[in-house]
Amino acid sequence: MIGSNDSFISNLQKQDYNADLRSKGSAGLKVLSAPTRRSERWKYSPISKLLTKSLKSCAGENVVWPESITPHPVPHLNAYLMVFRNGFFVSSLSDLPYADGVICTTASQSEYEAIDGTYHEKEWVGALNAAYHQDGAYIKIDKGVVLDRPIIIHHLTYGEDIASLPRHSVILGDGAEADIILWNSATEDSTGMYNRIFEAQVGKNASLRVEKVCNEHGEIYNFSHESIRQERDSRFTTNNFTIRGSWVRNELCIKSKGEGTDSVFNGAYMPADSDHIDNHTTMDHAFPNSTSSEMYKGIMYDKSTGVFNGKIYVRQDAQKTAAFQQNSNIVAAKGATINTKPELEIYADDVKCSHGCTVGQFDEEAMFYLNTRGINEENAKSLLVQAYIGDVLNSVKFEEVKNEVVKLYSERHGWL
Amino acid sequence: MLKINNLHARVEDHEILKGLNLEVGPGEVHAIMGPNGSGKSTLASVLSGREDYEVTEGSVDFDGIDLLDLDASDRARAGLFLAFQYPVEIPGVSNMNFMKAAINGKRAHLGLEPIKGKDFLEKAKECASLVELKGRLRDRSVNEGFSGGEKKRNEIFQMAMLEPKLAVLDETDSGLDIDALRVVSQGVNAMRSPERSFIVITHYQRLLDHIVPDFVHVLSEGKIIKSGGKELALELEEKGYDWL
Repeated sequence: MIGSNDSFISNLQKQDYNADLRSKGSAGLKVLSAPTRRSERWKYSPISKLLTKSLKSCAGENVVWPESITPHPVPHLNAYLMVFRNGFFVSSLSDLPYADGVICTTASQSEYEAIDGTYHEKEWVGALNAAYHQDGAYIKIDKGVVLDRPIIIHHLTYGEDIASLPRHSVILGDGAEADIILWNSATEDSTGMYNRIFEAQVGKNASLRVEKVCNEHGEIYNFSHESIRQERDSRFTTNNFTIRGSWVRNELCIKSKGEGTDSVFNGAYMPADSDHIDNHTTMDHAFPNSTSSEMYKGIMYDKSTGVFNGKIYVRQDAQKTAAFQQNSNIVAAKGATINTKPELEIYADDVKCSHGCTVGQFDEEAMFYLNTRGINEENAKSLLVQAYIGDVLNSVKFEEVKNEVVKLYSERHGWL
Repeated sequence: MLKINNLHARVEDHEILKGLNLEVGPGEVHAIMGPNGSGKSTLASVLSGREDYEVTEGSVDFDGIDLLDLDASDRARAGLFLAFQYPVEIPGVSNMNFMKAAINGKRAHLGLEPIKGKDFLEKAKECASLVELKGRLRDRSVNEGFSGGEKKRNEIFQMAMLEPKLAVLDETDSGLDIDALRVVSQGVNAMRSPERSFIVITHYQRLLDHIVPDFVHVLSEGKIIKSGGKELALELEEKGYDWL
């Protein structure tokens, strides 16, 4: 392996399912290098500190679940629950759906169906997951079936120098509908790496919604990669909230594989202290008459660093595509930075595409107005911040999830 | 209530207020008139604590407190209110959350518990009816998409909610049609009391037909050059400012 220390993953062992994918992952690791600042995709998100560690896999069978973390992260939401700890499934804390046309089980108990199939060939991070993934959710919804409740996939990283490598697959048949909530936690004293792949196939006229919340205390290098394949006339919506995480890289790749798809993807991030948050998104339009709408909003506090990179491809055949992208940032502290880069590659000639990217400060007129009503600077900022990310919050379908996200942001940032 | 003594203030290198003196007693309504550029809005900004303005000389005593030593929010909590000439739109912040934060800010300052939801709503309803502000406007984002008249009514609504000791109305009549002017003035008149004072800054006499002042002052080149009773406003209306 190139570019990482020998003991980085030497303690990891391969599980015995998905042998084919694992050998491909190992082959990838032989030829791919760990990301460095020299590569454009990783320029602002170095991981050299992680690579000096010696990670271990820990199923934690004998470890009690920490009291500080509730297994069901949205207690008021009526939902199914799949709980994972350090990459492994925790059956005793989970509550799975049993219904006709619904398969909801673990990856180790099911036959792997490749959905993406190239990430491990392109990225070292992907190869690492392919070779060493521990377990994951496997959800398959048959044609025309609408899942009656959302499924929360809650992952906890708990321990020192832990390697968590879950790999989830979701397959929606034609016209099927499902809501998934990907929730991440880590305890205060946890360290290590979380490397998660989420692959989804959204059938014709099917609808998938993914709400994603990262609330990791401790010092975890979080690599989250979502790969979404959309068939004709399907809908995919996702909202991504990074509440806490010392180093987080969200990668979202959406491929439109047929006409008339609709993709909506939003994100809100408010890193503080010396947090690092990286959002890389790719939207690939290859067929006509599709729409995509992307809105990422960030507020950078303290000494935090951030990256936004949004790629949109509109291939030659993708006529009548309407693609919208917006990334807005407020840099709220002198020591904070954000690197933002929209990348549009348009090869079709009859399309509507727009993108905008802003980096600014709080609106001073609005601040003064609030101040003259007796609202001090701190409280005025909290009102303005909530208003600022309101667009993303309001796109969340479940009130319970939205309220919990607001509550967690409030706790961290001392909102009113 | 308010005692302004020899106030000098500037923006960047422009000296705008050049030794302004004004005393406002409890329950009094003072109108400040004057030509464009005389320093009327600067006075409002300096009193309310806008940071772009630098006070180079003089003092402002507000009920025994050194007003200039406080930041804008503490001035508001001490009982000062500014009705803006151009109220600011704040998308995403609901008018009600805004007012709740304002009232609770003041209550925290006084060592009181946050206002109860029911009490707050009752108060909001009462104050909104004072300026005929419909529920729809109460609940929307602060001033977002409001007409000029609606924005000014919202200013008076906020004033009623916050019950200041001293309210400074900065050209509240600008951009108002006659009906809106009447509604806004009614709101202000309903708020008049022996303890509450007003400084009404205006370019035109017509507002003073509705809000009748006890004193009228003429501001010119950063100083008050003439003071009188309400009849002075009529005289100004008739003769303009040139004769002074």
